[in-house]
Amino acid sequence: MMDRAQQMTLLTGALAGSPADETELVAYSTTSSLTRFANSLIHQNVHEDDNFITARVALGKRIGVTSTNRADADGLAAAIERATAIANESPEQPDFPGLPQALEATQVPSYSEKTARMTPEARADAVGKVVGVARAEGLKASGAYRVGTHSLAIVNSSGMRQHYDATDANLSVFAVDDDDVSGSMSGYAVDLGDIDAEAVARTAVQKCRAAAAPVSIEPEAIDVILEPRATAEIMSWLSFTSFGAKQIHEGQSFMTDRIGERLMGRNVTIYDDGLDPAGIPIPFDFEGVPKKRVMLIENGIAMGAVHDTTTAEKDGVESTGHAGMAVFRGGPGPSNLFIGAGSDTMDDLLSSVKRGLLVTCFHYINGLLDTRKALFTGMTRDGTFLIEDGKITTAVKNLRFTDSMLRAYSNVDGVTRNVDGVTRERQTVGQSWGAIGSTTAPTVLVRDFRFTGSTEF
Amino acid sequence: MKERLKEAMEILKKKGVEYADARRVRQLNEVLVMKNGELETASVMESEGFGIRVLHGRAWGFSSSSDLSPESVAAVTEQALDIAKASARVGEPKVLLDGQETVVDTYETRVGENPFDVPLPDKLAILASACDGMGKTPEVKISTASMMSFLTEKLFVSTEGSEIEQRITETGGGIAATAMDGGERQTRSYPASFRGDYATAGFEFTRSLALPDHAERTGREAAELLRADECPSRKTTVIIGGTQLALQVHESCGHPIELDRVFGTEASYAGTSFLTVDKLADLQYGSGIVNIVADATCEGGLGTFGYDDEGVPAQATDIVREGVFTGYLMSRETAPRIGLRSNGTMRADGWNRIPLVRMTNVNLLPGEGTLEDLIADTKDGMFVDSNKSWSIDQRRLNFQFGCEIAWEIKDGKLGRLLKNPVYTGLTPEFWGACDAIAGPEEWHIWGIPSCGKGEPGQTAHVGHGVSPSRFRNVEVGVKK
Repeated sequence: MMDRAQQMTLLTGALAGSPADETELVAYSTTSSLTRFANSLIHQNVHEDDNFITARVALGKRIGVTSTNRADADGLAAAIERATAIANESPEQPDFPGLPQALEATQVPSYSEKTARMTPEARADAVGKVVGVARAEGLKASGAYRVGTHSLAIVNSSGMRQHYDATDANLSVFAVDDDDVSGSMSGYAVDLGDIDAEAVARTAVQKCRAAAAPVSIEPEAIDVILEPRATAEIMSWLSFTSFGAKQIHEGQSFMTDRIGERLMGRNVTIYDDGLDPAGIPIPFDFEGVPKKRVMLIENGIAMGAVHDTTTAEKDGVESTGHAGMAVFRGGPGPSNLFIGAGSDTMDDLLSSVKRGLLVTCFHYINGLLDTRKALFTGMTRDGTFLIEDGKITTAVKNLRFTDSMLRAYSNVDGVTRNVDGVTRERQTVGQSWGAIGSTTAPTVLVRDFRFTGSTEF
Repeated sequence: MKERLKEAMEILKKKGVEYADARRVRQLNEVLVMKNGELETASVMESEGFGIRVLHGRAWGFSSSSDLSPESVAAVTEQALDIAKASARVGEPKVLLDGQETVVDTYETRVGENPFDVPLPDKLAILASACDGMGKTPEVKISTASMMSFLTEKLFVSTEGSEIEQRITETGGGIAATAMDGGERQTRSYPASFRGDYATAGFEFTRSLALPDHAERTGREAAELLRADECPSRKTTVIIGGTQLALQVHESCGHPIELDRVFGTEASYAGTSFLTVDKLADLQYGSGIVNIVADATCEGGLGTFGYDDEGVPAQATDIVREGVFTGYLMSRETAPRIGLRSNGTMRADGWNRIPLVRMTNVNLLPGEGTLEDLIADTKDGMFVDSNKSWSIDQRRLNFQFGCEIAWEIKDGKLGRLLKNPVYTGLTPEFWGACDAIAGPEEWHIWGIPSCGKGEPGQTAHVGHGVSPSRFRNVEVGVKK
């Protein structure tokens, strides 16, 4: 993996040799080490070291984009040449606003030496502790412990020079009993020292034990308490379908033509803040534009979307610093998403439910049924529980929900308060798509959430 | 590079490993997307590197790098061994591999027209023409036309002496028209949703899709969906078209027959499988007319190759025979656990990923008759096609699919158009209610270039040969 000096030397050298009118070079160097375990044994243990380098060139408004992982002058020169050839043969992209000018970014606490230096032996020993916690309760453990280092450098022909180093660590633990009933928990942080592997394992084990001998219930509209990971997965899909300006422009977002309207409950606030260290902070986007705090939903009212330079130009606003990699052109998206905290405790939420369900997390949500209505479906997993008169009385078999998230989040009747660390009241979860970034979510109580199907376990 | 990797194998043998293999992979991917006649994406991605997998102390280690220098190969070799040793620190690992023949061979996709030699303006002209066609319908606000081409060059060597070189070319594309009216938004696509249809073939396959020829109809259907009636909720007979049935096979048959998943190695992420080993050769998976084969040798299938990433030859395996569940997709590690040998399904998404058990071409074998015959033989029901959404539980039992389009069937004829069709079911019950499968004249292998599995995430290219089929008593719509 290239370090800052190597990246900057390579990129600035190649930039000087580019024949294009405008050139942007991005080097994303990563190492990723992952120890995966199942049935209380490590079955996959992998390491990779790569440099993902993109070249975006403009000949007027004709654009060409290439990527390569050849991290040398010849490799990058070839990538620029290929991008220039593509631009030369392409029609104009009228929306292209030109590359952004040089901007200063705020430094963020995104790097941990401890995470960067974690060895395979240390990961294995952490997994050993997780397995030990499960085994002590007669359970099997599955999951993964991943640590990554990321070095991102961006230069362009308008003088942009950005760089930052980051690390992240993600531990997921699934405790499984002899009947294949499971409970799970995860921890995600910049510094692996913030993840207490045994505590994560203990929560998964407690969930698994509580989830044993589930009973069948008929799917129905019912009050539901969604723990942070369940809420985060819903938000991840809303990010994908609705929170970017491109989705609004293309009529896909539930916010299209509805900015300023109340679309969710007064107690629902959703925003993106790249600099907030409570999540996974990122100082700038893949165009080098510094992150701005963007209010998406404030007290239930649709406020706006995140932008890159192209969507910002179209709307006559400034980029909010949410561009993705040029080579993928998916449009801007949130990277450090927060669902605003309330003032409730878990006990408060439980005690306000006469009959309802507690959902630990979801499996295989799909938010493409009707994106304008935010109509989603998905299954529960890893612990679904019946609440009667404010108390959890039994585990239930998994259920399928199909519901509009606008309807559901208009019926929010409780949100947990801010707390530190990995808890069931508030948690930071990695992005579903595997990119660096996160969603920090509380537990929420939703009245009348629509379950529509059931399964056999 | 081959000599360096062979040398690494010799070093690992001297260090006493039970087994090791190395893969050097170079991938070249071109993505072209045009939207409303304007070029949205024209990109070429190149990635090259190598990975070394080591079995030591009956535990696995893997390391990889994009640095191809001798020093890097030496360091990665050591690191892979160290990681295997670390893996053995937890519990008592017990990995054993089946015996396989040593292979020295090459394989190459049969290509008529190299997609990377086709001039960019020629490709863009096809996409622009398709966008024009869709845009002729005024309600169509977004016309998207795309094509992708993939070249993968692989070298495989192992401590058992295998040396295999493969060159696999894949191409394809698709179009999608999105019509809008107020808050209503409907999308219609051709030949399949989510970027179209793909095959192991040259650019002649992309040309054969004739995207511009289907553009106007696709645009018109999107607009007609805006005015269509909502699909009602009821239990009824459903005929499923090829593009949707391909995904049905993928999710409810392809994934649950992955034997690594059955043994729990995906439990923490994508889930497990209801097809546990006690059900092999015993479970009535579907009705007696349901026959499913996993076949990595089909000409043109997107899951077609010469050898898997453990050096095992591509082959065909019965999965469901006359409705009975008979086989799995297996690796050299998982197959011996049920007394069998690998059937060559281990594939990795690039040099920096380990191979996993992946689908090849999981094909529903054809029955007889045409789609028209099926419809004519149906008194009351629906014909649905083109996937819009998908979701299935972690053991692959309860599924729900949304489709782009449906038509009512009354007295053997297609009737009114229906929008937002959704159907749901439980896998064995659903396949048990399959009472007709159209014949070879309707059969096509649909290529899906986006099958996700594993951590870190991997994307596989897989195929599903299907012809339209009929299912009785299907729950359509969403319970209120």
